[in-house]
Amino acid sequence: MNNPVQLYCWHFMAYPLLPADFDETYDTGWVTVPNSLWDKDKSRGLYQQYIDQLAYSDELGFDGMVLNEHHQNIYGLMPSPNLIAAALTQRTKRGKIVILGNLLPLHLNPLRVAEEYAMLDNMSDGRLIAGFAPGSGPETFNYNVPSAGTRSQFWEAVDFIQRAWTDSGPFTHEGRHYPMRYVNPWPQPTQKPHPPIWIPGSRSRDTLVEIAKRGYCYFLSSRSHGNETARSQQMFSKILEEHGDRYQPSRMGILMSAYVADTDAQAQAEAKEGVWYFLKNCLKGHLRREGRQLTFGPGIPYIPPEEFRNFLKFSDPTTPLLGDAESFDDLQQSASIVVGSAETVYRRIMDILTRSKVGNLLIQFHLGNMQDALTRKSMHLFATEVAPRLREDSARLFAREFSESAHAPEMAT
Amino acid sequence: MSVRNVDVRGRKVTIAEAGDGAPLVYLHGFADVHGVAGDLLPFHQRLAQHARIIAPAHPGCNGSDELESSTIDDVIFRYLELFDAELLPRFDLIGHCAGGWIAAELAVRHPERVARLTLIGACGLFVPGEPIGDVFMHAQPERGTDLRSLRALLFAEPDGALAKRWFPDGRGDLDEEVRRYQMLRFGSFMGFKPPYFYHRELRERLYRASMPSLVIWGEHDRMVLPAHGAAYGDGMSGATGLEVIGGAGHAVHLEQADRVADLIAEFHDQYPNEHAGTPFKETAQA
Repeated sequence: MNNPVQLYCWHFMAYPLLPADFDETYDTGWVTVPNSLWDKDKSRGLYQQYIDQLAYSDELGFDGMVLNEHHQNIYGLMPSPNLIAAALTQRTKRGKIVILGNLLPLHLNPLRVAEEYAMLDNMSDGRLIAGFAPGSGPETFNYNVPSAGTRSQFWEAVDFIQRAWTDSGPFTHEGRHYPMRYVNPWPQPTQKPHPPIWIPGSRSRDTLVEIAKRGYCYFLSSRSHGNETARSQQMFSKILEEHGDRYQPSRMGILMSAYVADTDAQAQAEAKEGVWYFLKNCLKGHLRREGRQLTFGPGIPYIPPEEFRNFLKFSDPTTPLLGDAESFDDLQQSASIVVGSAETVYRRIMDILTRSKVGNLLIQFHLGNMQDALTRKSMHLFATEVAPRLREDSARLFAREFSESAHAPEMAT
Repeated sequence: MSVRNVDVRGRKVTIAEAGDGAPLVYLHGFADVHGVAGDLLPFHQRLAQHARIIAPAHPGCNGSDELESSTIDDVIFRYLELFDAELLPRFDLIGHCAGGWIAAELAVRHPERVARLTLIGACGLFVPGEPIGDVFMHAQPERGTDLRSLRALLFAEPDGALAKRWFPDGRGDLDEEVRRYQMLRFGSFMGFKPPYFYHRELRERLYRASMPSLVIWGEHDRMVLPAHGAAYGDGMSGATGLEVIGGAGHAVHLEQADRVADLIAEFHDQYPNEHAGTPFKETAQA
């Protein structure tokens, strides 16, 4: 029997206290959004509320909690996900703690990440999933990280960290970007040979090849799950085969958002405020046509020119983005934010799983300024009425699709 | 006029070339040949009436191979290799924008190779309180397709025909889009380390630029503010003057091609190449 889909609770920790006229008044929620909007009084207790929601997901039996790193925006208030992860090691006992991931080129030296992740793996008794990301547009503006040239720096850092966790120290690292005479981190991680490593990527073939070479897991960092997600899975599968490996659902994850209530109508009514706060405000500067997109484009030239040419050829700059959705019908097309009864949410997620065969669903429950009580109610309904069916049916689906490889040895990831 | 590829130690460099006479190396910026156009523009053609203009595309731009590392030091070294390969021991040099920065670095490091220097809207200097514009931020279109703020950075009249010809709203010609992308990518390699298209040490090294040096700036240059022109004029020991062109922006040599070409021709007439070889200050005093 194959493993069922793994269900994680992802929290972005959005800033929920923007004024009602934010969208009309400000052209972006990223990089230059004025921090004078931060309300020092009303924001008291905010991190506690968010950490409590993540701890609640652990009580509810989710397979893990997901954190990621953002700087200078209202989309995610986690410049250091490792701090939140440290808190979770002390609040939770069961679920994986996924950091997706530390943005390696922002660190003076990847040794620091190897050390902090090893601490977290010890503090959580081997529950860390170690994500590494190169950073994208906002980091070029926020942290002076050059976008062209970051890739070789990123992969050197990744390889350095894995080696720091597996080779006996002290050793010398003769890298181009991070030459190090004494690599000898204390502590070493709890998990052997090392914590699972996940790498987010868009659809860049180069990234998938680097992931395949190293036997890592691929997290598709797209917020839309139409046919492109299935195509990415097929491309990854093919690249794995080119590297003498074989696709398993556990090798790939996607991000989506969900809200569950008793009926479709009730779910839409309850989710509406949080969803559109998220779409209009948090995605402004990221996935909206209004304002200036700061996450991808010619001013962030990290992909090779030929890839950019293809992007130009096959994309239409006038197509609405996720954040431009005006109705729940619009949202349905992107298959990214699923709102409805337990039956509806089950059906639509099962549809994504059937088409894309990914084994890790990283689900955002708290959207924008969603109230605590609603967020928890939706998480509870998901855990009790959606998750069991997804687990059972996905295990059957994966067994059918991947039966020959059911007995393949577990990947080191 | 021709475009050719040369092999320099296994690396391809694309060169646009025209005219006869003394060699004149032209190093491009964002808004001119190789940055947006595949071939020489009217400004360069005017220069070619008096000289042999040699305009290489920067690493990664318009056919030239990309470098794995393109810090300003790498770029300078690659250009020295190119000049060696092209048998150019000594030449006139003109640079615009990022190309002006490279030209200034060449002039202070190898003053013996540069006969006469012209800088047009050159970045490269740190001038406190006068930051160089963020071309990367402005290259991100607003509302998906609107490049007006990038045009405003580069041209005095952001809605003028010239600005819209090279930086149109919406999806433009694919080759031109990719050319602009390549220039931004080169800029990301070179201009980011240290960030923002300057080299903090360059200003105190400018005294070594002792060859006759002309500085030309657009009055409304919003990418590299005119204070940078003044700083170049003050710092280079061979500077002959700062010409600020009214009604023009960063791409002053595109906006007023004849005027800028005339200024350079006058400058070259005034300081003939036979002075080459002796330090300019001594020549001027003689």
